[in-house]
Amino acid sequence: MSREEILTGLTEAVIEGDDGLVVELTQKAADAGIEPLVIINEALTKGIRIVGQYFGSGQYFLPDLLLGAKAMDAGVKLLEPLLLGTSREFYGKVLMGTVQGDLHEIGKNIVGMMLKTSGFEVIDLGVDVPASKFIDKIKELKPNVIGISALLTTTIGRQKEIIEVLTEEGLRDQVKIMIGGAPINQAWAEKIGADGYAEDAITAVEVCKKLVASA
Amino acid sequence: MKFELFSQAELLQIHEATVEILKRVGIHTTSPRFKVLLMDHGCQEQGDRIVFTEDVIAKALKTVPASFKLYGRKDSHVLEIGQKRAYCQTCVGTPSMMDLETGEKRDATVEDLEEYTRLADALDYVNIISPIFPRDVPQEIILTIETATLLRNTSKPLSICVESARELPYILELLHLAAGGEEALHAKPIATIPVSPLSPLEYGFDPAEALLDVVEAGLPLGVEPCPMMGSTGPMTLIGTVAQHNAEILAGVIAAQLLKPGAPLTMSSRATFMDMRSGVGLWAMPEMGLAGAAMNQLGSYYNIPVAPGGYCGASKVADAQSGYEHLYNAMMEALVGSDIIGSAGSLDNALTSCYAMLVMDNEISSVVQRTIKGVEVDEDKLAVDVVAEVIASHGNFLAHKHTRKYLRAGELWVPPLGDRQTFEKWAINSEKVEDKARRIAKELIATHQVLPLSPEVEAEFDKVIARARHIEMGE
Repeated sequence: MSREEILTGLTEAVIEGDDGLVVELTQKAADAGIEPLVIINEALTKGIRIVGQYFGSGQYFLPDLLLGAKAMDAGVKLLEPLLLGTSREFYGKVLMGTVQGDLHEIGKNIVGMMLKTSGFEVIDLGVDVPASKFIDKIKELKPNVIGISALLTTTIGRQKEIIEVLTEEGLRDQVKIMIGGAPINQAWAEKIGADGYAEDAITAVEVCKKLVASA
Repeated sequence: MKFELFSQAELLQIHEATVEILKRVGIHTTSPRFKVLLMDHGCQEQGDRIVFTEDVIAKALKTVPASFKLYGRKDSHVLEIGQKRAYCQTCVGTPSMMDLETGEKRDATVEDLEEYTRLADALDYVNIISPIFPRDVPQEIILTIETATLLRNTSKPLSICVESARELPYILELLHLAAGGEEALHAKPIATIPVSPLSPLEYGFDPAEALLDVVEAGLPLGVEPCPMMGSTGPMTLIGTVAQHNAEILAGVIAAQLLKPGAPLTMSSRATFMDMRSGVGLWAMPEMGLAGAAMNQLGSYYNIPVAPGGYCGASKVADAQSGYEHLYNAMMEALVGSDIIGSAGSLDNALTSCYAMLVMDNEISSVVQRTIKGVEVDEDKLAVDVVAEVIASHGNFLAHKHTRKYLRAGELWVPPLGDRQTFEKWAINSEKVEDKARRIAKELIATHQVLPLSPEVEAEFDKVIARARHIEMGE
């Protein structure tokens, strides 16, 4: 396989969401001496961008998107040890988590994947995350945006609590805050002083981009 | 009346898939009490999961009561859960409300809870009342306030979904007061308490503990996880049904191991995801089909069932809501449902709507009429009547047989729908949703609820004050 063939095949494997093939071809590309950043930017990222375009045009659905992202991730993971000294460029850093007392994560995970495929660095704190952990991680990782998820009508109050603690700690101005979850709406976002809310994962990416650009 | 989705062979195949899920995958729980209970009865630890054995499954399923009764504060409200009567239950936990005056969506308030409950009390074909979720009360004691508000505004049976055991003592106290004591409540339970573990197969600490506490308190339990096809359950309808069945049975088994004979319902909520937006859909046909499938499994196990069915994706009380709710509820009722929940809901069970509840009352009426079936006997077959009418050159209108069965209720009478002549209808040209809104306003303004005694009212205030003190430090 020529260098071009490998890279084209890799792009297509991401579009197909075939993680096994992505791993195989990424290894082949690395063995052929292609620069890791070139593999990422000219094959893997190109593939995921096309996946995003297909999703935008209605040809692809969420499972296609997530499988594409998973396939790209598999390739990136393989290249990471080779990336030492060079660094990838991201749109911005997003820290996400589901609030304390709530174990629902599917919505957060979809938004996280969408952000990743759109070029954000995403750090997921998981579920049942207390305010103190959000605060510690903000201090440690200095994200541009945090995404706070809650599904239960009894736990959405935790979103407000986290914003309050951030204000008390003097960190509120250092980070943009997005909230989400089925019972959440724009009015609630405004009421608790969040910077952004989106009704679905696609809009969430747009909102996140705007927030990073405005910071 | 008997409709079936599956043959006996197919039912057995689904059951076997469920058993395999329980044996191979099992559940995860962070409640030590839940875990120890299962392990003490023969379940096994496998990594971080608890897996079941055929013995423990078979043993526990044997002791589930096939039926139990649910009561209201008024003697006339007696529901026979297990007899497949398709009792209509209002939607629980909606944080939003369609304003009765403006028709706009806004946060639900405690005043809504009062008026909406009173409306449900007034509607003949709404049988069980669940609370909406008021946003203007302290969230620390929301279930306590909800329970008190429900009991003050209806004498019908209740269903109070709990997400944790924290407020359960206050809920129980209020129920004891309303029922006339703990023993009276046990003899005649006036509420079911559903709990909602997470899909797939996750019994988090709060729902697991709540489940055990509800069973210990002796109240009828609902096991109500809510998977989404394609995201928290397999993409295939039957795959999600098999998993849903497994996660429900896990709770059923735990309840029976704790207290053999504990009354409960399999409260299925098999939803699906919009594969573009990620929105959780409670729409048709998948919700109704999966609910019907779960109902047939309930009949197979002889366990009462209580799926959500008066639901859809429409955002307003309109024609789409009408056909979505009718489809889902009717599918479930035809296969055999004890309770059908989510009445009055819009927007995938996120919003409650006064007008929609009046429309669902109409749908419930025709659903309950339909499953009564059509009785076949000689007098009803009316061969003699046909002969007599023909022989006399008359018509059926003037025959006593006609009057007899008209009086006996042979014709269904719509509580809401319009059947006037065109000319009469055209005077106001009122659409069904507008009529429903008008009726809702009239009923809220005029309907009288059986009051609680002043003594019980005073005790209620004390319970709320104590909850405020303990839970909020006031």
